[in-house]
Amino acid sequence: MLEIIKLNKFYLILILLIISNQSILFAAPMSFKGSVTSMATASKDYFSLESSYVMTSKDAIGVRTYTSKGNGYNVKAGGIFYLRKLMRINAIKSQTNLWLFTGAGTINIKKNLKDKDYSYLSPILQFDYETKRLFGLVSQQILRVGHENFDTTKIEGGFSLYETSYNETQPWLILKAKYTNSIFSKVEYTPTLRLINKAIFMDSGITADGDPSFHMMYTF
Amino acid sequence: MKKLILIVMVFFTLNSQALTQKIEVLGMVCAFCAQGIEKSFESANNVKAVFVNLEDYFVAIESKDEKGIEEKIIRAIITESGYDVKKIEVVSDSVSEIKKKYEPK
Repeated sequence: MLEIIKLNKFYLILILLIISNQSILFAAPMSFKGSVTSMATASKDYFSLESSYVMTSKDAIGVRTYTSKGNGYNVKAGGIFYLRKLMRINAIKSQTNLWLFTGAGTINIKKNLKDKDYSYLSPILQFDYETKRLFGLVSQQILRVGHENFDTTKIEGGFSLYETSYNETQPWLILKAKYTNSIFSKVEYTPTLRLINKAIFMDSGITADGDPSFHMMYTF
Repeated sequence: MKKLILIVMVFFTLNSQALTQKIEVLGMVCAFCAQGIEKSFESANNVKAVFVNLEDYFVAIESKDEKGIEEKIIRAIITESGYDVKKIEVVSDSVSEIKKKYEPK
């Protein structure tokens, strides 16, 4: 059984890597060529920092560190990632993207007084769609280390009450849903206010349990 | 003779007209994404002014001379920023005049 799971994981990663190299696909989930994007996310049980450099219009590389806790787990990870824009469909009034993140690094897992370090290889597939007033995102991360499964599923959707000009700040109302195997005991829902103004992208939300959550992104 | 050449050069320099090109862009739906287009044009050769208009999905660029920016360069900048070009046309208004027309009062 273990061998089948290992084999499936191998094929999944292989398929994702093969897809990421198809030249027939359109573009990537990042800022513009030559730019550096840094972001931070903070909530009661989660904190992450990352920074990435866009090499081409389809590829970026970056570094990332995060901590996450819940259900008796305390996880700390750090590593590098490669981001590939697998597809972008630019329509007159919308943009549709399919992204592949492939992260690798080390992860420390503490549970029940046990403390162990592993190395990890973790792909994330993300699909998003946006217009000037609507936004939707689905992402799936696969993260398996040792006998642990920390796969994460995210779904986000929302709208903006009005359009703004290029130099104005646009407010959005977004509902985020996130579930991480092992660490979460239930799906975490976070109603969020998003503000976008050119180089700055900020999310402030409160989870259904009343905990604040922040996310900020800046492009240099 | 040298004076004549100098006078002719000054004459042509003073009379060189800037050219404004309007580019309709596909997929340009948010300011966070579109800033790449603005920054790339601002750092391109021969570009004097740039105006990004999200409401009507276009970018206007004004060149320093009457030749304008080559279409293949425009297409490369838009594509490398992650977008696609729908249409490129030369317009008679300058970028500052277009800004006045489209920017909110």
